[in-house]
Amino acid sequence: MAIFEKRPSRALASAVVLAALATATIAGQSRPSGTRAMPRTPWGDPDLQGVWSIATITPFERPGALAGKQVLTEEEAAELEKTNLTTNNQDRRDGAGTDADVARAYNDFWWDRGTKVASTRQTSLVVDPPDGRVPGLTPEGQQRAAARAARGYDSWEDRSLWERCITRGLPMIPGPYNNNYQILQTPGYVVILHEMIHDARIIPLGGQPHVGQNIRQWFGDSRGRWEGETLVVDTTNFSEKANYRGSTDRLHLIERFTRVNADTVKYEFTIDDPTTFTRKWTASIPMSHTDEQIYEYACHEGNYGMVNLLSGARVQEKAADGK
Amino acid sequence: MRPRLRLAIVAAGAAIGLAVLSFAVMPTAGQAPAGGQAPAGYKASRSPFKDGKPDLNGIWQANNTANWDIQGHAARQGPILELGAAFSVPAGLGVVEGDEIPYQPWAAAKKKENAANWLKLDPEIKCYMPGVPRATYMPYPFQIVQTPTHVLMAYEFASASRTIYMNSKDESPADTWMGWSRGRWEGDTLVVEVNAFNGETWFDRAGNFHSDALRVVERFTPVSRDVLQYDVTIEDPKVFTRPWKMSMPLYRRIEKNAQLLEYKCVEFVEELMYGHLRKKTK
Repeated sequence: MAIFEKRPSRALASAVVLAALATATIAGQSRPSGTRAMPRTPWGDPDLQGVWSIATITPFERPGALAGKQVLTEEEAAELEKTNLTTNNQDRRDGAGTDADVARAYNDFWWDRGTKVASTRQTSLVVDPPDGRVPGLTPEGQQRAAARAARGYDSWEDRSLWERCITRGLPMIPGPYNNNYQILQTPGYVVILHEMIHDARIIPLGGQPHVGQNIRQWFGDSRGRWEGETLVVDTTNFSEKANYRGSTDRLHLIERFTRVNADTVKYEFTIDDPTTFTRKWTASIPMSHTDEQIYEYACHEGNYGMVNLLSGARVQEKAADGK
Repeated sequence: MRPRLRLAIVAAGAAIGLAVLSFAVMPTAGQAPAGGQAPAGYKASRSPFKDGKPDLNGIWQANNTANWDIQGHAARQGPILELGAAFSVPAGLGVVEGDEIPYQPWAAAKKKENAANWLKLDPEIKCYMPGVPRATYMPYPFQIVQTPTHVLMAYEFASASRTIYMNSKDESPADTWMGWSRGRWEGDTLVVEVNAFNGETWFDRAGNFHSDALRVVERFTPVSRDVLQYDVTIEDPKVFTRPWKMSMPLYRRIEKNAQLLEYKCVEFVEELMYGHLRKKTK
């Protein structure tokens, strides 16, 4: 389990959030897509505005036990949610004084990773390849993955962008907390506010070319367009440091946002990076309406975790040298 | 008790604008124009949301040296000898009304101490969120994304942003770096009241500071297609003897390809902040 040093910026009123999500899901089911006109902005674009949560217990990749199965039955989904509650949602304090206990210091009081499977009951968020698994790495991708795995605690550069409070980056992936996103629209722009490590991602829609090839960014450079009801966003110009699952500056990210009912935006992304993956692959994540709002997440400003983590490593080395 | 902060600014064309308030200070000649009202005859274009409000959407930037020092200052040597003329401090007329900041005596001493220890104490050096109003006049563009219910201000520096909740009475659940912003329209002026600061941010690189009791009232008034007049009232009874004001124009970035780029400065400060904890190579 990863060690999360940083305390979430707020103690959520989790029960309220979960209740809201549950209500949204039920309401969503009673309004299947296509039965009524989707909302529009005053200037005629499909309206994606609102605060959306991507929290879900649906696994990113399909577990082996569900091989060959695309969708859970309602009974299976209910069973999975029940199991999840009993296995995850407890205040475990066994093994006091051990690393495992310390790593569990953030139990489900702090987490906000949802209690529901995706409303589609899909068995994995990865939907292509059809086996629901992220495709294999190229030889070059494997080399880079091995180098990453060998990293320790020599400096902050060995740690993840998340631990360094630089960004959670792209694409949008469910995490243990801060899964809320707010979409705002004006003519010519779609803006997505990311609560996790506070990013305001501004996507121009005007057909402008991408910025020059020598401008490389953590969020790349995004350009959006409407294809019918769907917002399609092309992102290039990633910094090689952005590194999504080992991706390089060759990454081309394609995202599709479609409002399928009043309470759901379907979010799909395709990862195209031939230097890293043996094929393109796609994940699909429902974004569920929430009445929550986005709060300030001052991550770097309170990153005592990085200081403690590096100090701890130096202390351990010193102790080892003394032996 | 909440002292009333509403400004009664009388702008009289090219003549001197005089605030008639208990804490009024005579503006000095050469002061930035008193704001709050658009010039006669100018009518800002309206929001695409068809709510009849002015359209403030766009990418904006201050063009002054307030981030160096909000008060008038002569050019001076920069702190890093090797950087010579490239990174020394440019002069500026200042943006504070009357050019005086009414510090309480202890706070005036603290400001001097801050200035003397600028590199060690200024939160900008560490890439911390800059707070308000400093975020507005840092030397980076910011983008206003305006809807009837939410006005987002997205700043290039540190990927900081804040959401202004329109016509909201909600209070912040916690103290924050960027404050808690609530907005309303007064004619064509967007008035924003900001509170719930944590007291960790500064006004500039000259050590001007505030406490967690800071309350900011900002007024954004379109005065031409490409200029917003920005007027700010600062109130902090723990630090100042009375409210005070600053004002400046904000200019639209009119380049056809204008867009915010990233200034994710965390990676530029890690060596400074954590370098002493890096594993020593033997």
